[in-house]
Amino acid sequence: MASESFLFWLVALLTMAGALMTVTLTNPIFCALSLAVTMVGVSALFVTLDAYFLAGVQLIVYAGAVMVLFVMVLMLFDLKHEVKAFTRGIFSGALKIATVGLTAGLVSGAIFATMRVSPPTGEPHLAPANDLTAALGQLLYSQYVFGFEALGVLLLVVAVGAVALARSKGGTHAGS
Amino acid sequence: MQGLESFFEVGLNHYLILSTLLFACGLAGVLLRRNVIVIMMSIELMLNGVNLSFVAFSKYMAMLEGQIMVFFVMTIAAAEAAVGLALAVAIFKRFREVNIRYFEQLKG
Repeated sequence: MASESFLFWLVALLTMAGALMTVTLTNPIFCALSLAVTMVGVSALFVTLDAYFLAGVQLIVYAGAVMVLFVMVLMLFDLKHEVKAFTRGIFSGALKIATVGLTAGLVSGAIFATMRVSPPTGEPHLAPANDLTAALGQLLYSQYVFGFEALGVLLLVVAVGAVALARSKGGTHAGS
Repeated sequence: MQGLESFFEVGLNHYLILSTLLFACGLAGVLLRRNVIVIMMSIELMLNGVNLSFVAFSKYMAMLEGQIMVFFVMTIAAAEAAVGLALAVAIFKRFREVNIRYFEQLKG
């Protein structure tokens, strides 16, 4: 149990450090690299939660495909250090940070209050980890097969739409 | 001593708080940054935080539906990233910069 909690704290700290650096660093390439660290950390957290299939998908889709997309676009733009990376204005900035703090505080307070009223009972009793992926596949291809097919159609539409958007000549700005 | 033990004994609480913090980080990024690409990275952070809470509930409630939901969210996030980056490319071709204020110029 001790090694389990040690692993959790290590990965949680790594993930939070990555998230904070994504938000605070001014060079977009460093932001992308910290985001990749965060994605790998979240994938490791999925492993500690026995969601092995989702951990693999997280690595392939987020840490692989989406990050490559981000980094490729950044390279294409050749962005240097941003001069004005953050919003200006003391008042509006303070308001935004207060909003973030309030959101985090409210949700954490709700979590703690709920846990005090009705703590989770006993050990979780999911199927053994080997059968979990099989059960996930069974569920995905039986009960949620419509959503799965709809996602396929959505991905096709998005692929066509992204290409059309990226090579458009700029709509009303075409002539200028 | 009881409090210290519950602090180190990892449970549903820990995962939910971590997911809240990830979401808050992403929210701060969306509100405070001006670069469109960094804003989209922050949106990915928020989605990851929500995914983490889905998987944590899926384990501690012994229900697989949460993992199905995470699967769908991941797919839609990848699609959203593709469309958003295509929009960023369109903006960059016109203005040579990807500051968020140029997005008010987007018209048909």
